[in-house]
Amino acid sequence: MLSVDINSVSILDEEKRRSILKDIKFHIEEGKVYTILGKNGSGKSTLVKSLTALLPKIDYEVRGKVIFSATGGSASGGNGTDALNSSEEKLREIRRNNIRYVFQDAANSFDPLKKIKYYFDLSNVSPLKIEELLLFFLLPTYKKLSGLHSYELSGGMAQRLLIVLALLANPDLLILDEPTSGVDYAVMNLILLKIKNFVRDKDKSVLIVTQDINFALKSSDHIAYLSGGNLTRFYNPDELLNSTDDKMKNFIHSFKEISNAST
Amino acid sequence: MPLLKVENISYSVEVKEESKKQFDILKNVSFNVEQGEILGICGESGGGKSSLAKVISGLIKPNSGKIILSSEAERKKSSPIQILFQNHGETLNPFRKVQTIIDEAFMINGVDKNNLENEREAVLASVGFPKELYQRRGFELSGGEQQRAALARLLAVKPVLLILDEPFSAQDVESQLNLVKLFKKLNKEFKLTMICISHDLKILRNLASRVIILKDGEIVETGKTSEVFNNPQKSYTRFLLSAEALNLSYDEIQTSSNQ
Repeated sequence: MLSVDINSVSILDEEKRRSILKDIKFHIEEGKVYTILGKNGSGKSTLVKSLTALLPKIDYEVRGKVIFSATGGSASGGNGTDALNSSEEKLREIRRNNIRYVFQDAANSFDPLKKIKYYFDLSNVSPLKIEELLLFFLLPTYKKLSGLHSYELSGGMAQRLLIVLALLANPDLLILDEPTSGVDYAVMNLILLKIKNFVRDKDKSVLIVTQDINFALKSSDHIAYLSGGNLTRFYNPDELLNSTDDKMKNFIHSFKEISNAST
Repeated sequence: MPLLKVENISYSVEVKEESKKQFDILKNVSFNVEQGEILGICGESGGGKSSLAKVISGLIKPNSGKIILSSEAERKKSSPIQILFQNHGETLNPFRKVQTIIDEAFMINGVDKNNLENEREAVLASVGFPKELYQRRGFELSGGEQQRAALARLLAVKPVLLILDEPFSAQDVESQLNLVKLFKKLNKEFKLTMICISHDLKILRNLASRVIILKDGEIVETGKTSEVFNNPQKSYTRFLLSAEALNLSYDEIQTSSNQ
């Protein structure tokens, strides 16, 4: 579905060039959940933003190719197009129909001057169908939410609502940036169930970036680790904890130590 | 005599929109904090955890109930209870040097000028803050360094009780483990009493000797951490444990949210 071959992502800072990501290569297949793990500041968000050329060109330089080809019928957008080499118009189409993001900073993903109704209308989905998803995520009713502004939602509600809006677009690829930060366990479980449900459709995929190993292990088919600008290969969940990769060693060791506290 | 007695604390706010309805955040909460222990308080968002921390430290006034500090703690000149907030980095003045920030806390506490340098070094060393960075300003520090400096600032006034309000939640697992080890060390070396508030059960398993499970402003269950987590008596505690393991079915989530 998505074939990523990024040579480099660099920040341009007054003639200086600081490289953040190097030689990132991976494929995303249909029907699978992928997670890229990494510590704070490892470049996870930069990586997912570079996939659909979301990084401002004035500050960033992205070299490489991101080939997107949808097999599903929904693909009005690019079949076999290189996202990094597409017109702004084409990119908008891909971002609207094919690849949807749920960013970490949920509350700020909304325009504070618009009521939530605006976003429901944008989706072109019937209120009944929307209501169904809202109910699943234990959110207020369609009617109640429609009249609210984003700043009237709690952080956890805004995050769930963003996931709902992303799902309404019925994208081929759903990208979740730190979906578990700031949500409680019940909501974490809900998101997990929905992700599993989403890829059951075989032609859908999910890409998660997070530092939450536990969530990655429970949700994903393939997990890789990002550090120092490089990405390891993708491991199966059972393989990951036994990996001998030097880069991941501390991270996994810390996880094991903190999880295995004797009470 | 316990260090702190929390007696029948109730706290509610008025909801303006819904015709002056009272919304109860804490309902008749009572417990003791013993000298030298680390007490964990857990529960989900909206359970009243942070409000409880603010009531204990006197930042908000409860509608009824008492907070009783042991007489020894009462005698202290500066605030005996300090809170480490989640966004601790932001509690540092970005434009002041770490050294100035720490020294100020010592001055408030009435530390002798001749002793200042020793005290400063001792407190910054205890949180593992490197000497080379004393002259740096707040904004020149990384998140982890800011956190240690903010913690040193709290310790400089020699609190009798340190409240940790979700300081782990935005951290990756390596930083979480470092923090857990640091708090354990402070507890052991300085007999510092702590209350750790967290929704993350694995943190409390590592840190707390005793836990209180809070739901909708009420204490659901309390006891030794190992007993509560290994042999939970209440259905809500069992729910939290299976939620942590990401093993909930949709029905279980829905039932719990409708309760």
